[in-house]
Amino acid sequence: MPTVLEPTRVIEPGADEQVAPDHPWIVIVWNDPVNLMSYVTFVLQKLFGYSLEKATELMLDVHHKGKAVVANGTREQAEMHVFRLHEHGLWASMEKDGPSDG
Amino acid sequence: MIRFRAPIRRDGDGFVVALSPDEAELVQRLLGELGELLASDAPSPLTERLFPVVHPDDPEQEAEYQRWMRPELVQSKLTAIATVDAALTGDGRLDEGGLLAFMQGVNSVRLVLGAMLDITDEEQPDEDDDEAPYEMQLYVYLSWLLEWSVRAMTNQ
Repeated sequence: MPTVLEPTRVIEPGADEQVAPDHPWIVIVWNDPVNLMSYVTFVLQKLFGYSLEKATELMLDVHHKGKAVVANGTREQAEMHVFRLHEHGLWASMEKDGPSDG
Repeated sequence: MIRFRAPIRRDGDGFVVALSPDEAELVQRLLGELGELLASDAPSPLTERLFPVVHPDDPEQEAEYQRWMRPELVQSKLTAIATVDAALTGDGRLDEGGLLAFMQGVNSVRLVLGAMLDITDEEQPDEDDDEAPYEMQLYVYLSWLLEWSVRAMTNQ
């Protein structure tokens, strides 16, 4: 497992750089030694509509950096994304984006 | 000329899972065992990998999430297993949803085997090791099956 963890910020088309206040949660996929690279790429395309290129890029970030941010949204949206990722056997979690409110 | 038959291929609007009788029986048995493990709801380090922590920073939110969603996730996996079992018992035909269920079921078994075998990034299975433990051979076989599922799904 690499020692450097750099989550990749996913920028949705049309969104500006700042996280929208009503989409404060991010969904993270973590590297694991069992999941196939081809399968992870496919799941990211299937669940989030990413192009093959973008899904591959995210998968390689998971693989090389240990984790990657694959989606963001409201808490309910993030929980749904995590659930669907778990259905496929990916290791996913969620957290509040940006500085902690304390 | 030798014709290689993919274990899973696209067929019209759907897919066909074409395994030998032995392979089909093996996959059904493994899925059945997984189903029993899940349905028993007994806490097990082998299945815990199937239910990762969602809110690692907040035990309260985590408990709340799992209270509602863990049974849903268990049911989802049991439904996937039943879908695959029906297809393998029948004509092996699956629609897209069925192939997704197949992939989920196969991958769930891989994850459990991975836990049993303590597979890590540093110790990946040697596909050419004929003397590997049985569970390792199963793991390698299911990985191959999953790889072909992805190819069939993505039209390669």
